[in-house]
Parts: sequence; C-alpha cells; structure tokens
Amino acid sequence: MKVLVPVKRVIDANVKIRIKADNAGVETTNVKMSMNPFDEVAVEEAIRLREAGTAQEVIAVSLGVARCQETIRTALAMGADRGILVETDVELEPLAVAKLLQAVVEKEKPDLVIMGKQAIDGDCNQTGQMLAALLGWAQGTFISKLAIGQGTAEVTREIDGGLEMLSLKMPAVVTVDLRLNEPRYASLPNIMKARKKPLERLLPEELGVDVAPRLVTLKVEEPPKRQAGVKVANVAELVDKLRNEAKVI
Amino acid sequence: MSDAATPADGPAGDGPAGDGPAGPEALLPDLLSTCTPALATAGKLAAAAGRAVRHMVVKDGRVDGAAMERHQFAAHGYAWMAAYVEALRQMLAWAGRLEAAGDLGELESLILQAAFGEYLAQIAGGIALSQGEVVRPHDMGVDDAELHAFWTPAVATLTARGNTIAVRMAIAGLLADGRFGAPGLDDESLEMVREQFRRVAEEQVAPHAQDWHRKDALIPLEVIERLAGLGVFGLMVPEAFGGLGMGRIAMCVVTEELSRAYLGVGSLATRSEIAAELIRLSGTSPQKARWLPRIASGEVLPTAVFTEPDTGSDLGRLKTRAVKDGAVYRVTGNKTWITHAARADLMILLARTDPGRPDYKGLSLFLAEKPRGGDGDPFPAPGMTGSAIKVLGYRGMKEYEIAFDGFEVAADGLLGGVEGQGFKQLMATFETSRIQTAARAVGVAQNALELGLAYARERIQFAKPIYSFPRVAGKLAWMAVETMIARQLTYFAAREKDGGRRCDIEAGTAKLLAARVAWANADNALQVHGGNGYAEEYAISRVLLDARVLNIFEGTAEIQAQVIARGLIERGG
Repeated sequence: MKVLVPVKRVIDANVKIRIKADNAGVETTNVKMSMNPFDEVAVEEAIRLREAGTAQEVIAVSLGVARCQETIRTALAMGADRGILVETDVELEPLAVAKLLQAVVEKEKPDLVIMGKQAIDGDCNQTGQMLAALLGWAQGTFISKLAIGQGTAEVTREIDGGLEMLSLKMPAVVTVDLRLNEPRYASLPNIMKARKKPLERLLPEELGVDVAPRLVTLKVEEPPKRQAGVKVANVAELVDKLRNEAKVI
Repeated sequence: MSDAATPADGPAGDGPAGDGPAGPEALLPDLLSTCTPALATAGKLAAAAGRAVRHMVVKDGRVDGAAMERHQFAAHGYAWMAAYVEALRQMLAWAGRLEAAGDLGELESLILQAAFGEYLAQIAGGIALSQGEVVRPHDMGVDDAELHAFWTPAVATLTARGNTIAVRMAIAGLLADGRFGAPGLDDESLEMVREQFRRVAEEQVAPHAQDWHRKDALIPLEVIERLAGLGVFGLMVPEAFGGLGMGRIAMCVVTEELSRAYLGVGSLATRSEIAAELIRLSGTSPQKARWLPRIASGEVLPTAVFTEPDTGSDLGRLKTRAVKDGAVYRVTGNKTWITHAARADLMILLARTDPGRPDYKGLSLFLAEKPRGGDGDPFPAPGMTGSAIKVLGYRGMKEYEIAFDGFEVAADGLLGGVEGQGFKQLMATFETSRIQTAARAVGVAQNALELGLAYARERIQFAKPIYSFPRVAGKLAWMAVETMIARQLTYFAAREKDGGRRCDIEAGTAKLLAARVAWANADNALQVHGGNGYAEEYAISRVLLDARVLNIFEGTAEIQAQVIARGLIERGG
C-alpha cells in the first residue's frame, strides 16, 4: 500500500500573527514557519502504517514556495520515504490545492491519502473533501482512529453527537484530527538521513493545473480589540444600557 | 527628556497597543557601514592594549610567569577587551550573513546596533570583569593618545545613539511577538534539529525541571533513554563507531535547546562528549571499538574524574596515584566534584602514574569501569566510596566526592596505552568542552530571558503590565542582545573547531562571555519577578542557581581570562 501525505507550511502556532501595514495580508517576513500541526498527525499515522507493514511507501507532498521543501524535509526526518514539491509563488486556494493534489494522486496512484483536517492559517477545512470529490473517492473526515481492513479503511470520526464509525472502500481520502496520535520527534540520525532522501520538484503547469485564484482578498484586519466589561447595579440599569447603549432591544 | 520613552509609549503586555515599534527612528541609518569602521577602531584599541600588556609581561620573548601574575588585572582586562572586540566582529558577520540571505530584519538590526553601542562604550569606559571589578583602558597601559584616537565619528555615533533606552524599547516591542532574532545558521538541517529539540525540551523536560531541582532528584532514566534514542550521545562520535559524525554547531544547537529547559539535561551529554573525544583522539583501536559505540548509544554513561579536594584549576599537581600491579592499576586518592558519578558506568580518571614527576608530565588517564550505583548505594565497587555533595543548583546528575583505596582498573584501560600522556590528552579536549559549556550558558541565558519576559507581560501593577515600564522592558531587551552576542561567539568557536582550526582563545572567549551573560540574565530576570522570583515555586529561582555555576566550572572566569590573555600574547608575539 502506498500512502500520500500532503503537508503545509504555515506560520508556527506559537507566533503572534501580525497584519501587514497595507492590510494586504499577514506578515510572513522573518516569521517562524512550521508544518501544520494537523499534518504532523497525518505524517505520524502514515509512518505507523508503514512500520506496521501495512503500508510500503509514504510520500510527503507540499505545494507552494520553494521553502516548502523545509516542511517536506521535516516529514522525511519523521520517516516519510520521499517528497514531492509542487513549486509555485501563487497563493493557493483550497480548490487549486485539491486539483494539484488530484494530479499528484493520478501520477503516484496511492491507495490512501492521509491529510490534516484543516490548516491552522486559513482554517478552511475544505481541501480533503474537495480532493475526494474530484477523485470520486471515499472520504472520512476528522478521524480520531484508523485501521486498515481488506481493501477498506475503518475510521472513527468525531462528530457533534459522539463518535461515528465508517468503513471506507479504498482508495480513500481521510482527514485527521489532533487526537488520532502524538507525532514523534525526529531523531538526529533521521534528520541526517532526510537530507539524502529523494525530493522531486514539479510545476503546476507540468501537472496541467490552473492555479489562478478565484477569490480576491479585499482587506485583512486585526479582530476588534475586546473592551473591558462593566458591572451594572440592577436590572433597570441593564435594560437601559441594552436599549440605549448597545441598542439591541 | 531626550530619547527616554515613557511607559505609555512602551510595549504593551499582550495587546497590540504598544506594539507599534519605535523602530524606524531608533534605528541608525547606514548601520552596517557605521559598524564596520567602528569595529576596526575597536580592534586598534585592543591591539594597543595588547602591546602595552605584552610590554608588561613578556621577558626575553617569553611570557614571564611572575610578571603575568603581577599584572594579572591588566592582562585579564586585555582578554576581556579582546573578547568584546571579537563579540562585535561576530555580530557584524552575523548581520552580514543575514543581510545576504535577506533575513536582516528590524529586530536583528536593532540587536546589532545595541551591541555595538554598549560594547564600544564599555571598551572605552570600563569593562566589568565581575560585579566588583571594572577594568579601564588605562589599567592596561593604553595611553591618552590611543584612547583619543578611539573616538572616531562612527564610534561616537554608535556609543551615543546605539543603545539608548528608545532602542531597547523598540527591541522590547519586537520581543513581545516571541521573537529573539534569527540565529543565522543558514542551514535547513540545523534549524530542524533546533525545532525538534526545542519541542522535546518543552514537552519532556521543562514541565518537570523545577520538581527535579526541588527534590534534588536524579534526572529520570527514561529521559536519558529518550535522548539516547534521539541520538544525543552519539552526535559527534564518528559514523564508523556508531555515531552520527555531526559537527559542533549541531552539538551547540542541541545543547542550547536542552539547557533552555534545564541545565542538568543540557549537561547530560557533556561527559559523553568529553569521553568520546578523548577516546577518539587518544585511545587505542581496541579502546575505540569497545567504548565509542556504547557511549554513542547512551548505553554507557561516562563521568570525568579529574578534580581533587586540593587541586582544581592547578591540575598538574594532583595527588591520586595509580600503581601498576600485574594486570591492573591500583588507584588510591581522593576526588571531588565528580558529576553524575554514581550512575556512571565509565570513569575517565586522571591519576599520577609517575611519582618521580610531581608535575603534569607524571599524569595518565584511565578508562575505568565501575558498576552503576544509585541513591541508596552510590558506589557499589570494591576500593571505592563516596557521597553526594549538597549544592545550590546544577542538580539532576548530582556532584560527588569519591575516595579510592586500592580501586582496580584493568591495565588495558590506560588511555592510549602509554603512561604520562594524561594531561596532554586532556588538554586536547578543552576546546570542545568549553564550546559545549558556552552553548549551555546560551541556553540558560535564553531561558532566563524568556521567563523574565513572560512574567513581565503577565504581571499587572499600577493597572498595566510591568513590561510597559522602561526599566523592565529595557532589561529584557538588553538580555536579548547579549544572549545573541553569546550565541554568535559560541557558533564562531564551534565553526572554527569544526574547520579544524585551533580555537583555544575562541572557545575560552565564548565560554567566558556566555557564562557572564547567563548569570546577568538570570539575576535581572529574577529582579523582574520581584518577590515572586525569590520563591522556589518560580522557575527563575532555579535558573539563578543553575546560572551561577557557569562562571565556575569548565574553567573559572578568572582562569578563562588567564588562558585567553596568555594565548593572545603568545599568538600575537
């Protein structure tokens, strides 16, 4: 079995996000970047499948600027076998990402795509679903458990009402939640080995995918600053404030 | 009020209110092209000090021991001045590398500027060798004309405007984002190493460090096993012997990140590194084959058994005897300050094999096996007794005093198989151990800085975070500057060593400065904590105690200055 794991380079979770002075987007110059934490869980799960003998190869793929190869190297240091970078400076929207991944899937023919349920930057939570739809594959989203059966992937999903168990016919796309596993640390020997693992570079044009954005970003702003609350003495004052200050009743 | 920022202008604790950096005005135009000539000028002053000190201590082309002792203050002052100049040279080189990579941001520029502003001012006005000793150019015999020549326009600009409170407030505003300046290693793998070990340290070490310290407990074996699994103990051991063959910069990065969580954990590999380097450089083939793979895997924990109750820095006079008796040497004598001794499986033992030579030429090193002990029975071996020394900080491995009485070491444990080589063999590893210690100090310094910063941003007094007060924010900003200076000096020494160049002065300089920075940071970060910092439940109380040892072990600050001064005089003359 072959497993494909998309990994995204995002602003590190511990960094305070700043808006660019011209409100065109988020400041990324000299900002620490890391692998999307959901994707780390996906990489870990794929490596565990290979270590258990269920999977034979784990491929990490990233889409974006040249420095995304750092994210792929991290996946390789964790244990992925090889990497693919689809290099582009275009800001990719979920649909473009899904189409690029579709092209990579058609080229690599994996049995399973394991990916984060969302990225911590855009929080879109769309790509996995779009990819499954484009491929016409089964999908299991927000999974907290994965077991491989005979041509099936048995998954446990976290849904509002509790846990849902599904049996997916493979090939399939699964998107993972943080509770699925605890990603390992890359050891020094594996970091050294990762330097020598193959990393293939592709361009969107070579995959025949149009990645032009469909959306226009008008403006990015900081959320409004939260104001301190006030204590009211009685209900009459509360009603008065709601009516005359907040103007909600 | 000229450039003094008011609290209202200052960085706000966590809101964006004060975040708007005061940067653009604080930052000097043409910074790099101002620093470049200023560095050359500082170099000239240090050279003048060097000439004057050489005149005091060199007799007939050689350093005269008695004169060196008489002029110790001047000589050590010269070592410090040279250290400052080297620090600035490395900071400028760092900024240059960042600029070339397009990574020289506002924070990094401000750090560079503050470093130049402050260190140039101290070079001319007085460098604190310790809190109670300030050395001035005249103490080193620098004359008025030479000192006058120091005040070039570039130096004057930087000293006047380089490290103002406005600059420090601008730095403080940027620190609030959790950024401390790009380390400038320009190596993807090393950055990955840093990130992985930062995570390991934050998740596996930092949450427990205070508890281990307060209970005076040995670091749990599971932690050691986990680090072993990640390759920490074999980092520099050649691949042919089961290690990774990585360089000292990688060692520095790992050490720094582990020490940032707990000095004890950052120091676990110190003894493995010393032992492995000794065996690699001086061991026989069977000794290498036998020990290096087991040290690399972490299976064997070594300890260094050098110091004696009456012999610290003056190792050449040590008294412990090793007497050949058939297939063994019998060791008799007292040792002290032996770190992690109970748990260690292998002692690197320095003893006198030739009583006819009372100096360092009569010393030999042994690879002495011992059974692993624990808290109940630390030394379950015949001919060996000992107990733990109660210490202020630097716990986790414990310090021991040991008495040997006929303790047997197999004769084939004589390092290199030849007697009388011990001191020379040991000296060959001092560069690496000092670089590693400098990296430990950088980690501790960073830890103190971050603890102080976090507290300053959370602690509300007078209705605002105390981080809005210039005296608080300014302290933290300067900590960030000096931590970067110490870091760059450490990387420099590591690069020199990796490049196969002699770096006794560079390694000593890094260790000397980094240790002072760690202590200053810890002391200032505790001050930021106020009374709470004096409470054991706050981590900074431990970091202060841990930081204190850095100026003492691996060569005291005084010995370090002596070695640097002597080295500079000999190299230059």
